[in-house]
Amino acid sequence: MKQRLVYVAAAGIVSPLGWGLDETEEALCADRTAIAPLDIFSPLQGQPLPAGQVKDLDSSPVPPRAHRLAREAARMALHGQPEPPDAIVLGCTTGGIFTTEEQLRNKEHSPDGYRSHGLLSLVEDIANLCHCTGPALTVSTACSSGAVAIALALNLLRTGQARRVLAGGVDSLSRLTYYGFHSLQLVDRNGCRPLDAGRQGLAVAEGAAMLLLTTEQIEQPLACLLGAGLSCDAYHPTAPHPEGKGARAAMQAAIEDAGLAPEDIDYINLHGTGTPDNDLAEARAIASLFASPPPLSSVKGAIGHSLAAAGAIEAVVSCLAISRGLIPGTVGCRQPDPAFAFTPEMTCVQRPVRTVLSNSFGFGGNNGSLVFGNLAHQHPPLPSSREAWLAIHGSACLTGIGLLHETFARLQEGGSAGGRFPDADLAQRLPARLIRRIKRLARIALLLAGEARSNAEGQDGPDTVFMGTGWGALSETWDFLQGLESSGEQFPSPTDFVGSVHNSPAGQVAMLLKATGANVTCSGGDYSFEQAFLAAQTLLPETGQSAMLLGVDEAHAEFTPLLDWSIGTGDLADGGGGLYVNRDREQAKCLARLAYYGRGGGDDLPDRLFAALGGAEYFHRHSVVLFAGVPAAMQAESGPQLERLQHLIGHSLPVCRYRDFVGEFASASAIAAVLASQCIETGRVPGTLVGGADVMLGPESRVLVLGTGQCLTAMEFFRP
Amino acid sequence: MNELIEELKTKLIELLNLSSLTPEQFDAKAQLVGGELGIDSIDVLEMVVMVDRDYGVLINSQEVGEKVFASVASLAAYIESNRAGGAT
Repeated sequence: MKQRLVYVAAAGIVSPLGWGLDETEEALCADRTAIAPLDIFSPLQGQPLPAGQVKDLDSSPVPPRAHRLAREAARMALHGQPEPPDAIVLGCTTGGIFTTEEQLRNKEHSPDGYRSHGLLSLVEDIANLCHCTGPALTVSTACSSGAVAIALALNLLRTGQARRVLAGGVDSLSRLTYYGFHSLQLVDRNGCRPLDAGRQGLAVAEGAAMLLLTTEQIEQPLACLLGAGLSCDAYHPTAPHPEGKGARAAMQAAIEDAGLAPEDIDYINLHGTGTPDNDLAEARAIASLFASPPPLSSVKGAIGHSLAAAGAIEAVVSCLAISRGLIPGTVGCRQPDPAFAFTPEMTCVQRPVRTVLSNSFGFGGNNGSLVFGNLAHQHPPLPSSREAWLAIHGSACLTGIGLLHETFARLQEGGSAGGRFPDADLAQRLPARLIRRIKRLARIALLLAGEARSNAEGQDGPDTVFMGTGWGALSETWDFLQGLESSGEQFPSPTDFVGSVHNSPAGQVAMLLKATGANVTCSGGDYSFEQAFLAAQTLLPETGQSAMLLGVDEAHAEFTPLLDWSIGTGDLADGGGGLYVNRDREQAKCLARLAYYGRGGGDDLPDRLFAALGGAEYFHRHSVVLFAGVPAAMQAESGPQLERLQHLIGHSLPVCRYRDFVGEFASASAIAAVLASQCIETGRVPGTLVGGADVMLGPESRVLVLGTGQCLTAMEFFRP
Repeated sequence: MNELIEELKTKLIELLNLSSLTPEQFDAKAQLVGGELGIDSIDVLEMVVMVDRDYGVLINSQEVGEKVFASVASLAAYIESNRAGGAT
């Protein structure tokens, strides 16, 4: 398979600077700043801090502000397009949080008020808007989310899994992020001054931007997406590595991925947040990679820091630089820091630009760099023969009753393992110092990662981390918002804010295992683990790297019943699964691939899943056991899906409804995946799981872990 | 002053979840930030919030912070000399 060139066919952008490409270009050329005192809500204490707020946005709470921003950007990017994209990848950190905050303050006790909280609601909303029936994926890696989403989209296209992908990022302003960055003393009261000697921090902002990426050759693309590089500092939850080690690795990987050398880059769009530490670390990384850096600048003094949207907004800025020939100025910077080995562009310059490197870095030491170029800079296609399957070398799971051993034993006895593993027992299994500042979700993730790592005997530590979580760190998010409200907005906890980001657990895992490669967290409700699986399958290189693949959720007594419709009045359950994977078949315990991910509620979803697996022939050739994920709230959709699938298969298969055994929670499918792998390895599915005799598994047997309901997914497990 | 030091030890053990430490083992003169306890910039911010909330004393510059959080003893001394009605 040849590596395909990826074109930016169209783009949409809604930022504090304006709506659409033309307004954005005009504001950039005028060196205008949109940063002004916050006015979408009134702080109880003190004067409103400077922020980047989108103007003229309808302010009613439903759908949430983030959804509105995303809709506008998607409409622009898809305007005039004859067919929907094959897939969508959206970076987002806080979803519908601004509306959730209002509901919590109003003591809204019905889950109805929280339907649009999760990140899945956001990407599904966009997928419905444009009638996309392929994967609609989320990436939540803090302030690098937008860039990481675009990197994932690039590799979906290169590996031929999609021909057209809508990719970008979105975040709205919220109390969580406004007070969160304030509690970290990272907000500059004088507005944002990137790279300035006197810089004192960022300005929290909002926005959305999307690129329509395609491998179909088009005459006049905005630009080409030439390469992407991802890395993790594995150093500290918030502070960048002081020498910018991870930043350098991401930039270098992106430039190499584009088939270029540092001297081929015409312009660097800096992450340049305006915090003292970020700008210094980034400057050092650039000085170590570029013998003589090209023109560079940061647009965050003009726009503010729009968090997950930033990487996507700056991807659009990069495309404008190339298509319209401009290098934006560093608005806000008056006195460039003499500590840097370069001087940034101070004002916008009109000149031809052939290639742009755009940086985005985030909490958890999460780094993403993108390289864009004009058509003249398309590099010779590189061979890419990436296999779809992942080789499983180690696994671990945690249920209400314990780890894999206890869980499997309980299931074999015909019992249930659902529940909430006690906090005290969880803490006992981890070093006190390691978990001092983290709460339940990150603790579960660390336990699983450590167990799966030691279960992968003879393998090196993993290089990369992929994690799915349906709802993220609920304890930290809840505690932060409660602390904010109970103290009259004076004393929210900075530690809780840091821990509240969805990728905090994956960042902790990276520090524990020294995993400095890609670090991707997906948050797709009941399909979060499947999304992380697809990301791992797409991004893990053919050789030389291994990954820790996790699916984790925590049950929170107050928050979970508001968010997860499947809980109802039932018992809370949580936990997750971890798989140590790479591409090496030798001594692998099991092979696995995500065979299908579809969405959209169409009646033909089961037919498409059936065809993707290979149709009737597949089910003749293999004896198949189904592990069916049927979320309680999705019975009405799931039932007909499973019936249709059984009808297509034509004969009855052993079926395990795994949520009956491990409980109702978003990433229950990660436990199902670990159990499937365990069954393949031992050659037997316990009869207690499928309501009959033990099923013996031969070399041709397959275990399919299905996700049903809003989306329909299939993970396939088989012997090496 | 000693009373305040003891009070701070108990508060910090709870605030920073230093569960392996008892107040008796907590050396008031030992390096607090960047020392053996693994206390770093995030913990400093958490302590800034606590000092403001519980003692009404603001610490809003990194330079002041570095001196104040050098040890439990220096933190106690700073609170003592800056809180309303405290020693001058």
